[in-house]
Amino acid sequence: MTSIGTGYDLTNSVFSPDGRNFQVEYAVKAVENGGTSIGIRCKDGVVLAVEKVITSKLLKPGANKRIATIDRHMGVVSSGLVPDGRHFVSRARDEAASWRQVYKTPITTKDLASRMGGYLQAYTLYSSVRPFGITAIVAGWDSEVELPVDGEVGSGPSIGSGGKVEGKKFGGPALYMIEPSGLYWGYYGAATGKGRQSAKAELEKLDLASGNLSLQDGVKEAAKIIYIAHADNKDKEFELEMTWISNLDGPTKGRHEEVPKDILEEAERLAKKELEGDEDEEETKEEDKPADGDKMEE
Amino acid sequence: MNHLPQAWGRPRDDYYGAYDASYFQSNGPNQHTQQPIVTGTSVVALKFKDGVVIAADNLASYGSLARFTDVKRLRTFADTSVVGFGGDVSDMQYLDRLLNSLDTEEAYTSSGHTLNARNLHIYLSKVLYKRRSDFNPLWNQVLVAGLDEEKKPFLASADLLGTTFSAPSLATGFGAHLAQPLLRKVAPDEEAAATLSKEQALEAVKESMKVLFYRDARSMDKYSIAVVTKEGIDLKENEKLENQSWAFADQIRGYGTQVN
Amino acid sequence: MAAMFSQNPLMNGPNYSFNQAPVTAAGNKEHAFNPYTDNGGSTLAISGSDFAILAGDTRSTSGYNINTRYSPKVFKIGGTTSTQDDATLVLSVVGFAADGEALKERLDAIVKMYRYQHGKPMSVKACAQRLSTILYGKRFFPYYVHAILGGLDEEGRGAIYSYDPVGSYEREQCRAAGAAASLIMPFLDNQVNFKNQYIPGSGVGHELQEREKIPLPRNEVEDLVKDAFDSAVERHIEVGDGLQMLIITKDGIEEKYLPLKKD
Repeated sequence: MTSIGTGYDLTNSVFSPDGRNFQVEYAVKAVENGGTSIGIRCKDGVVLAVEKVITSKLLKPGANKRIATIDRHMGVVSSGLVPDGRHFVSRARDEAASWRQVYKTPITTKDLASRMGGYLQAYTLYSSVRPFGITAIVAGWDSEVELPVDGEVGSGPSIGSGGKVEGKKFGGPALYMIEPSGLYWGYYGAATGKGRQSAKAELEKLDLASGNLSLQDGVKEAAKIIYIAHADNKDKEFELEMTWISNLDGPTKGRHEEVPKDILEEAERLAKKELEGDEDEEETKEEDKPADGDKMEE
Repeated sequence: MNHLPQAWGRPRDDYYGAYDASYFQSNGPNQHTQQPIVTGTSVVALKFKDGVVIAADNLASYGSLARFTDVKRLRTFADTSVVGFGGDVSDMQYLDRLLNSLDTEEAYTSSGHTLNARNLHIYLSKVLYKRRSDFNPLWNQVLVAGLDEEKKPFLASADLLGTTFSAPSLATGFGAHLAQPLLRKVAPDEEAAATLSKEQALEAVKESMKVLFYRDARSMDKYSIAVVTKEGIDLKENEKLENQSWAFADQIRGYGTQVN
Repeated sequence: MAAMFSQNPLMNGPNYSFNQAPVTAAGNKEHAFNPYTDNGGSTLAISGSDFAILAGDTRSTSGYNINTRYSPKVFKIGGTTSTQDDATLVLSVVGFAADGEALKERLDAIVKMYRYQHGKPMSVKACAQRLSTILYGKRFFPYYVHAILGGLDEEGRGAIYSYDPVGSYEREQCRAAGAAASLIMPFLDNQVNFKNQYIPGSGVGHELQEREKIPLPRNEVEDLVKDAFDSAVERHIEVGDGLQMLIITKDGIEEKYLPLKKD
């Protein structure tokens, strides 16, 4: 790093002469050391998964959740400094609740990502604060049917002026990743943290852009990717934590929930099996899977 | 000469006469709700063997005007409980949103624990009691129907004063006079309610709704009805009253056209 | 006139075309909202030499309507479990039920805190004073209830304390409160404190001797309570449905429930 000794990295909000903000870049370093988090946008839902590195044998297995619920239809996972992630969650919940207060309707994932992007960006502007040491992945299912306004009592006119528009499309799955700079994009598949490189490579193989992957398969893929990404971090033990949001007809009815234990265990079993198989028949696997190009664009 | 802010936008006294100061109440007492405005009438509910049936019509009245005819007064909570609202509709909407945010906050902790009907009833009654104690009441009487912590049928009432009570059958407003006697005949006590089938309970509640439609001038024949059991909530919001007969009408004596 | 002494030129001096000091509507607005109601019912408490009984009917009313036939008015206070099995005190409240419930919950929380902080249950005497303080604390927006607190005193004797809505209290042998208080209390005066009972043939005028006062045994007191309520039910429309009795002895608190007429 050329930043050392120049003095341009000593305070937040200051540019270096070549146009970089070193404090933000250091925050990204904090993220790169965190356990891997991923999100997969499937056709009928979204999955979030995180590699929870076990820092002490004295911690209760399954406790200390890393994926949080923002609103009923939305969840977030982050890599990096866990307390920063907690504050992110707290702010996101406030944003979602205040949106409801004003608009009497749930916040869309896009709007929440925008609000939180703006919030993180503000932490790059002042010398009195430091940037967030996290990259957050926000997943949501914006209702595919026209939702009643919160507290709505009637159904409004069915035809004519102010009536319903036939065949109007609403909502669907959404996945956003927000970085310490405040930068956020929408993704088909998102990965951050220590194992992001291999995770991204795996995500790219899934051809998510075509919108064929089902949520049930997405859960299995997510488990597998976390296990693969953990290969970079093999000396440490980890726990897999996964949540999902399905469409209204699906298992979670549009709500953000933990993946049920039996499904999670089955996904883990498959992930482990595949990894063991990997080591034996590395070559055959490469041929089976179509290594598609970059499918990450919005 | 109207350069002082107090004068802006106000008619001149010499031209229009003295300004009616009662419209200018910047330093008057704070006005809290003194009366309900748009109102819903009765809610009726009855426990049975495996759950609770609850019903309310879809009318919101503005005084004696039948103002809104598709107002859904049964609100579900966490797929386990139904709250039936009588009284002010805007206060009902406020409470509905409050319950919505409560449900969202419950989801923050992924404990898998959900609030049951008893928890919900206590919460609502504390909100209502706090507001009456602030002299700023929420003008409602609500019935909470669902299952308690032992998955047994639960039915209780709370009102704008914070008064609470529970019984095998309950009815608010006009229903307390007209429907409650009919329901008590079917289920005089908890033991009797625990032997009722869902069909018997539904029939009794529907019959009550019919009687209320005949006799309550602020009621209508379109209503919502919900059945809460372990299996979940079966909510229908567009039921029509059926098999009405006005044959009794010409038998009525003592008022109207047949004075004697 | 007050205006003569006003230093405000707006009020006195050359004026504009209107009175510039904002004027409020005359008089205060009446609040149409009445925060109280009466939920009827009656309570009764009698203390004995080694026990105390608190009883109440279980009917809840609004006007001529019966809200429910089972709404207890007598509560165990200060136990450490949800069932209040280890409670030593009993509170009865009658009047405005929502205030009664709020009062009960407050006292219960306070007595629990006392127990946890001091490692022993609160005495009736201490609790009685505390309850008075709670009630008086809302002197200008009172809990609209007649409360009765019962327990065993330091000597193990039955203790009954009765209150007015703003905290005035005294220890008594017996007390009836609520809708049928005026029906039950004279009966109690006669049957518990033997008022107007004299020894036959003991004389006339000042020579007349009062019947000797003796503490009643528990079974007789229980019968008195039942009779008092059966009679009250006959004559008062707000009393009926069920009779709940809590009997405090050194062995704990026993609960009895008996049906009353439902008409």
